[in-house]
Amino acid sequence: MAQPVVQTIHRDPALFWWILLPITVVMILTGILRHYAMILLQTAPKKQMLPQIRQQRSLVRGINLRTNANILSPSSFQARKVFMVSAYQDGKFLADPEARGKPRPNPMSDPAAMEGMMGMMKGNMAMMIPQTLIMGWINAFFSGFVIMKLPFPLTPQFKSMLQSGVGTRDLDVRWVSSLSWYFLTLFGLQPVYTFILGSNNSASQVTQQMSQMNPGAGLMGPEQDPDKLFLNEAENLEVLEHRWILDGVEDRLLARLSA
Amino acid sequence: MNEERELAINPIVQTSVQHNTQVVSNIRNLTASLFGVAAGTLGLESYPGFIFYLIGTFIVSGLVFVFRAEGKPSEYFHRPLGDLWGGDVFSGLSSFVLTWTLFYGLVRA
Amino acid sequence: MTQANLLTPPSSIPPPVALQLSQRAPPIIASSPTSSLPWPLSLLFNAETPETWTIHENLLLSALRTGDDKAARALLDRLTTRFGASNPRIITLRGIYEEGTAKSDKELETIFKKYEDILKEDPSNFAIRKRRVAVLKSLGRIQDAIIALTVLLENSPTDAEGWAELSELYVKVGAWGQAVFAMEEVLLIIPNAWTAHAQLATVHYLSSRSLSLPQLSALTLALKHFARSIELNESYLRGYYGLKLIAKDLIPILSSDAPSKRNNNEDDEVPLPRLETVKKLEELATNKLAEIVRQHGSGKKGWQGYDEAEVIAARELLDRDGKIER
Repeated sequence: MAQPVVQTIHRDPALFWWILLPITVVMILTGILRHYAMILLQTAPKKQMLPQIRQQRSLVRGINLRTNANILSPSSFQARKVFMVSAYQDGKFLADPEARGKPRPNPMSDPAAMEGMMGMMKGNMAMMIPQTLIMGWINAFFSGFVIMKLPFPLTPQFKSMLQSGVGTRDLDVRWVSSLSWYFLTLFGLQPVYTFILGSNNSASQVTQQMSQMNPGAGLMGPEQDPDKLFLNEAENLEVLEHRWILDGVEDRLLARLSA
Repeated sequence: MNEERELAINPIVQTSVQHNTQVVSNIRNLTASLFGVAAGTLGLESYPGFIFYLIGTFIVSGLVFVFRAEGKPSEYFHRPLGDLWGGDVFSGLSSFVLTWTLFYGLVRA
Repeated sequence: MTQANLLTPPSSIPPPVALQLSQRAPPIIASSPTSSLPWPLSLLFNAETPETWTIHENLLLSALRTGDDKAARALLDRLTTRFGASNPRIITLRGIYEEGTAKSDKELETIFKKYEDILKEDPSNFAIRKRRVAVLKSLGRIQDAIIALTVLLENSPTDAEGWAELSELYVKVGAWGQAVFAMEEVLLIIPNAWTAHAQLATVHYLSSRSLSLPQLSALTLALKHFARSIELNESYLRGYYGLKLIAKDLIPILSSDAPSKRNNNEDDEVPLPRLETVKKLEELATNKLAEIVRQHGSGKKGWQGYDEAEVIAARELLDRDGKIER
């Protein structure tokens, strides 16, 4: 960094007590609050009708057969494959055999689909609302203060963001305002949440949500045609290469245990 | 294909793997925060600070290797090289930066 | 074996452990988990933790096992006041309680009727469906239990517990093919469970024993599955035990049979093991069993997890062989 003189700013120690600490405490508390709010917002899984359960679990059964086929002896695998494929192709497990081949209704009109979307919405809301609220709060209360100096240099592009509300043009980027402390806590507090709330909390999902933008459309989302899924699975089973895992298990065992 | 078969014969149990990574990431996060405190109090700036962090995590990896994995990382990690020595290095970075900044600000004010 | 505690009781509790668990009931019943203070204060002074109700539930089950009906009733009442009588889980627990305290077949019949009524209202209550099968089983109506269970599995084919139970029922009536099928279905759901492999091997073995002439392919499959269960867990006593039993059956057949005769086995795509392999496996199993028996007997640490009965059975098997080395 080509900074000729090291800029020093004398700051009031009260800044620590009145800005840094409150922001940190508020961030931790919102994290905890978010965790419990998510628990409260979780809707109990909706009761499904028997045919739907059957349809879904039959599909899972086929997937299980595909992934774990190798533990079956060739003959029993063949028998199962034939049975599952024909059952899938005949639509034996469909919850609603009459609706086969008809176009799916618009997902917006399907209450079950709406339910799923609402769940996702709630999750996002619980994320977004506190964040905007806190950012607004910080901007309203604490803007205009330079509160700390970062221990590492940054490029001048960050100036507008990290020094928002500070109207000095020549100030080194390393001097930052309260908003940047907010960002630091936003990302740095994840382990704190993990320690307080246990590993499986919903407070530290900021980073997780960023890494996986596609929250896996469920195994059988209501928007998908179950018949298509079944036919697809039947095809997968048809082309599956079967290698029996018990082939030569005796020799493997001997080699391993006598070695 | 061969590796797949090997995995099927000696399966990796997902819950155990999760437990192991959980333990390791707990250690990493805690130590990263402590390194941040140390770096801030020492008043390290820019590159020395990051190098301090890298050396620290490497030492922690070594300690995990010796004490938690008992010198046999292949029994505890699916890919010892990535899971123990590499990979996880940057997971603690954010908490390191947080405490580093905080203590740097407090001490050097 | 897992340490017996009330949070995660082992799936099959031997009687002494159940007794030990249920003796912890009085202090838990004595301490009320819910606060009796008025509303805003009760939020602050509440001893209720997420574990409280798991403990209650497990305690209820072990109290029923040890015949402590009074404690069970108290626990059930407390659970009911907390979660309401219409909670599906509470319904199931009450069903278990009533089954456990039923004195005669007549009472069981009434419970069965009640289950039917519940199912008419809510056909997707799988816990009650399972209870229904259990009642049928304790009434001795195995065939009906099998039918009820197949209906359940038809609707929920990913239920490993159900398939395992079905396999057991089929074994009871001697329907080996179906039992094998059900057990294989279990394996498809939990492919790495060495216990399931051993169970499937046991079914194969039993089926080969029940027929007049020993079936080579069933024995071979049993051998393979036992071997796999050991491969998954190298200190699995049942695996070695089964390996030894089967090897003892297989060796005479394999050594007497001429190779040409073996080929006329109907659809044998299961390759038969070689004689020397089986012999080696038997030797291996014998050594391992002897080691387990010895180490367990000497009270060495790390070898105590075995079931007492299984170790005794293993010792007996070895004694029968006259090969035990102490």
